[in-house]
Amino acid sequence: MEKVIIIRYAEIHLKGKNRGYFERVFCVNLERAMKGLKHELHRTSGRYLVAGFDDAQTEEICGRISRVFGVHSYSVGLCVPYDLDSIYRAAQEVCPKEGSFKVATHRADKKYPMTSMELSAHIGGRLLDDFPALRVDVHDPEHTVCVDIRENGTALVFAKFEKGAGGMPVGTSGKGLLLISGGIDSPVAGYMMAKRGMNVELLHFHSYPYTNDGAKEKVKELARLLSRYSVSGKLTTLNVAHIQEEIHAKCAAELNVTLLRRFMFRLAEKVAREMNAKCLITGESLGQVASQTIEGITSSNAVVSLPVLRPLIGFDKDEIVLVAKKIGTFETSVLPYEDCCTVFLPDFPAIKPKLSFIEEEEKKLDVEALMREALASKEVFAL
Amino acid sequence: MIYLDNAATTAPDREAFLKAAQFSQEHYLNPSAQYGGEVSAALKEARGSILEKIADPAQFELVFTSGGTEADNQALLSCGRRNAVISAGEHAAVYEAGLQLKSAGVELRLAPIEKDGGVNEEKLLALVDDKTSLVSVVHVNNETGAVNDIFGLARRVKEKNPRCAFHSDGVQAFGKLPVRLTKDVDLYSVSAHKIGGLKGTGALIKRKSFALQPLLRGGGQEGNLRSGTENVLGILDFAYAAEKKFKTLEADAARLRVCRERLWQSLDEKFYVRFSPESGSPYILAVSARGLRGEILQRLAAERGLIVGTGSACSSKKPFSRVLEACGHQKEILNGVLRLSFSPETTEEETVLAAQTLNAVAAELGARIG
Repeated sequence: MEKVIIIRYAEIHLKGKNRGYFERVFCVNLERAMKGLKHELHRTSGRYLVAGFDDAQTEEICGRISRVFGVHSYSVGLCVPYDLDSIYRAAQEVCPKEGSFKVATHRADKKYPMTSMELSAHIGGRLLDDFPALRVDVHDPEHTVCVDIRENGTALVFAKFEKGAGGMPVGTSGKGLLLISGGIDSPVAGYMMAKRGMNVELLHFHSYPYTNDGAKEKVKELARLLSRYSVSGKLTTLNVAHIQEEIHAKCAAELNVTLLRRFMFRLAEKVAREMNAKCLITGESLGQVASQTIEGITSSNAVVSLPVLRPLIGFDKDEIVLVAKKIGTFETSVLPYEDCCTVFLPDFPAIKPKLSFIEEEEKKLDVEALMREALASKEVFAL
Repeated sequence: MIYLDNAATTAPDREAFLKAAQFSQEHYLNPSAQYGGEVSAALKEARGSILEKIADPAQFELVFTSGGTEADNQALLSCGRRNAVISAGEHAAVYEAGLQLKSAGVELRLAPIEKDGGVNEEKLLALVDDKTSLVSVVHVNNETGAVNDIFGLARRVKEKNPRCAFHSDGVQAFGKLPVRLTKDVDLYSVSAHKIGGLKGTGALIKRKSFALQPLLRGGGQEGNLRSGTENVLGILDFAYAAEKKFKTLEADAARLRVCRERLWQSLDEKFYVRFSPESGSPYILAVSARGLRGEILQRLAAERGLIVGTGSACSSKKPFSRVLEACGHQKEILNGVLRLSFSPETTEEETVLAAQTLNAVAAELGARIG
């Protein structure tokens, strides 16, 4: 009787001729998630099977599997020879000892001497005899004991379905560059794009000496937390302090943030193209702050040609917080380090900046030189 | 590197540490055990040696704690009834313990402080009445270095209400200024790591007849006033470090007073204003770079090998220091606060170099943000 984990995948079955590709990527991602832990990964029809792991590491492996996108659900079960007694002993192990239940059988091996109905009835009957606190309910049972008869002479027996992360295998939807601040939203935006199969790379802007190392460490920690969801294992940073100083010295105060964001987008596009990313990703949510109005978004979009994906655009703050808590980034995001020095924050930022005014103000700056300088400050951290 | 944040913590004295470490490694027995006599004797000696430096052992006794914060908490939480008076210049350990008293129903009265951080004596005394159970006034203000005349204050408090307890946080005074506790002071907190000792060791010195309450209960150590197996290493190290500091205390203070003034004179008046009074502790010089941000100057200075403090290390996560705000300064001044604090190891040359660096970073930042 061997402990195994059965993994079912999400939308891959919708893919037609590309299915092989999606499955290969999924398989690589599963292997990567379980790296460093003893295991064997088998592909069977329509699902994957993890075997050969240490019992003590079951929880760790399940935790890692639960964060792999493309996993619809998974179950910890037992793999036994498919004779009736072995199957029954396994069913005894996995079945809760009270409440309503049913047995559901699935036969991949159609030559098995009993039909699915017969096998379910047999196993169910014996369970009922041995555990008087159980009762049968085939319509709405509290527990379902599943028996999967496989073609290689074994059966999988399990009773619990754990929900997976859903989505698409990371790497099947191209590469995007996430602009990650130290806040709550951007990590969630990265998570959501990774969920749809995108390879997410990370770019952070700091403004040392106006911001401190604590802020940078916080972003590194967020990046580490995101890497559990197959988001990039490295973080690129650029210093925009001098850009802020120049804007502060030369341009209208109410445009400070708008102008800085245009620089950030331009810089991000450069970095994205270098790493072959096909889009930018931000955590913007419409109207959340002054720079996230449609006018603000328009002014940022105007300086880049790559598409900018904003997966949170229609989310309320509390909806974003809910996801941040689920993926474990919330507590780090709310640590008290400023990601932008208040020295440069205007008292009244422009809510609906006019593009013509912005462009006029921007002419006071040597955009190219400032960009070159910021790009020269690039640092890459492996997490 | 030039280190001028000695009010936050000091480098542990190497000799004291090695001596204490060797003893505690060789004599690791529990001092409270029947057979722990040798360790217990060493502790007794350390206790006596620290106490006699600032108080008469016939009238005072000493309870070892995990540091100044614990000593302050124990002092306040022991005596809060009816109303308690603390100054607005208190360290967070006293202030927060005061808020704890307040939440337990004690009326907390906050005595205002002057521009330099020193307590306003008359206003404080006016808050004391026959229902006051405790007055707590910091000896040396840890953010500005202002020295309060706690002995005069204690006497006047007792004249007004003899049953009122008087506590002083002496963490920035012990081992730095000549101190002799008088009978009017009931409780006095000290800490080891501000004078070359280890972090995690301190003491509450109390008048013998004063009825102190324990914060921690258990095995009854420290005369039942602070349970927990004694921190032998920290305590012995504390005693050895104090022994050394007290030998040269007055000479160090005189020399550092010169260094402090030299530093101040070398700072460019275009950028810096001064908080610390001349009569204050020679160990602390608080200044503000007008219109600039202290934390940014701190980072720029660190890049050039100079470590300085911004306000109090314990409160640097808040936008302004509560204490300096209570001094009545404007926001523009509060943003730019730097605290330069010294140790007997600080040289005059270092203070001059530090001033040059501080002038350079203020000029640079001023130019950068216009």
